[in-house]
Amino acid sequence: MKNAFKWWWGILLAFGLLAASRFFLPLPFVNEVVIFSIYTIGCSFLLGRVGFISFGQPAYLAFGAYGTAFYLFYFGTNPYIGILVGVCAGFIAACIVGPLFVRLRSDYFALVNLALAVIVFYMMQKVLAEYTKGDNGLWFLTNIASTPVLNIGRSSEFFIFAMLVAIGVWALYKYLDDTIFGACCLATKINEGKLQFLGYSNFKVRLLAFIVANTTTALAGALYAVYLGSVSPEITSPARSADPVVVTILGGVGTLFGPLVGTIAYTALRDVLSKFIGNWELFVGFILVFIMLAGEKGLWGSAAPWLQKLFFRGKAADDVAEARR
Amino acid sequence: MSVEILQAKAVTKRFGGLVAVDRVDFTLREHEVAGIIGSNGAGKTTFFNLLTGMFAPDEGAILHKGEDITQMTPQQRVARGVTRTFQLTSTFDNLTVTNNLVLAYFRAHHKSSMWNLLFTRVKRFHDEPKILGILETFDLLTVRERMVKNLSLGEKRRLEIAMAVLAEPEVLLLDEPLAGLAESEIKGVLDVLRGQIGKQTILIVEHKISHIKDFVERLMVMHEGRVIAEGGYEECLNHPEVRRSYWQIDTDETANA
Repeated sequence: MKNAFKWWWGILLAFGLLAASRFFLPLPFVNEVVIFSIYTIGCSFLLGRVGFISFGQPAYLAFGAYGTAFYLFYFGTNPYIGILVGVCAGFIAACIVGPLFVRLRSDYFALVNLALAVIVFYMMQKVLAEYTKGDNGLWFLTNIASTPVLNIGRSSEFFIFAMLVAIGVWALYKYLDDTIFGACCLATKINEGKLQFLGYSNFKVRLLAFIVANTTTALAGALYAVYLGSVSPEITSPARSADPVVVTILGGVGTLFGPLVGTIAYTALRDVLSKFIGNWELFVGFILVFIMLAGEKGLWGSAAPWLQKLFFRGKAADDVAEARR
Repeated sequence: MSVEILQAKAVTKRFGGLVAVDRVDFTLREHEVAGIIGSNGAGKTTFFNLLTGMFAPDEGAILHKGEDITQMTPQQRVARGVTRTFQLTSTFDNLTVTNNLVLAYFRAHHKSSMWNLLFTRVKRFHDEPKILGILETFDLLTVRERMVKNLSLGEKRRLEIAMAVLAEPEVLLLDEPLAGLAESEIKGVLDVLRGQIGKQTILIVEHKISHIKDFVERLMVMHEGRVIAEGGYEECLNHPEVRRSYWQIDTDETANA
């Protein structure tokens, strides 16, 4: 019981605080933070744990969003089934392109994913416009049926559902960190030759990481679809390809809570700064430059060692901090 | 009669116009401790890379227990029990000492299927007696929770050899295990290596031959990609071509090296 509490307390505290913020922050802001942080955690995992930077995350977001949208627009009304369809679409897409992409070097991996995002954008905007309704998008808010227990067609109840999903996602990634797979991901990131000479397949480790990360991204896309009640090609716009990377760096690459902290900071900057400054992205750009020049640790990456020192006094603080964050 | 574990048959490796390894024949027998020496650029590490599958030979064949493994990947060779260490210390610096060992131990005892990777927790092996034993043997018990990047070079080298030993290979190939170590650290590594004699078949590439003369049963001397001598320690070092090519002298000083 004590061990279970130790394992869960960080996640529950983080999302407990986020849930409490619901009472003094606008609901759309908190919903956006929850979904965007799920969107970012896959990118953060790929970059921080496996060493793969991806500028194509909007493509996987779109697979999830359009999977859900097609179901809710053309076939059914149950949002839970819609989300499941979106996640499956993302999973299948990752299984198809993954074996091709993970063979590439990290720089080419970044570019091929960007190319995929561009392809998906034009597919949804023009090639499949007959089904996707082009730039107008698919609107299905009124198609979403009321569901028992949690009616996620309503924003307030969607928030509870999204929070539960986010807690599940964070628990999954925390669990992965504790597994042989998690250790292999870190190992392949810095020394793929050695991992191979221990008898592991770098390809297998990277493919698994790719599928897990991009299925999570598709989950975020599916949640966006249900939350907004519409999906347009804008969701996979190449112009927004860097967003999850920016949030990952802002929060702290490869850290468990970096995506959450980064998303809160990024969304707050966007919502607050944009009221006063027209080109608010310029300000975010300066912050990113500062973060990278200051050691690339990001907001959570810088704060975590201090918090760890508070809670794990008496041990080799740097080691413990790195091993546990 | 001892079994021939690893054989190289007339292996050749070229890099453009350079012949890095030139028709080298070599046999490693069960539980033997053999060494390869040679000056810089002699082709020792290239030959090592051919044995372990890092490079494919242009000509010739590599056999493991009589079976041709020339086209096998390093991963397949590891599965057959052939493992190696690297000239530049090769560990996972972003993991703890224990987790480095867990990765080596896990692969030696479990298949690396996606299911196994996903559903096996690292902590399950933290108190594994074999891992604790290795930590003690290699004098790493006090640093077991440290991140490897914070270790000294000697500690990293011991960890790398510990990982190789923990993988329980049939053949252990050590590429310059004493490179870059201080004298005090060399003694620690050598003590560990002496402990493996008779347990594993060992092939060691080393510059500092005076350090390994006590426990290497047989030497192979390479020069410019070719084998110029093979046999016992004294026999090799007194070989006229070794004296000329390796030591660049032609006096009895060789024996005192």
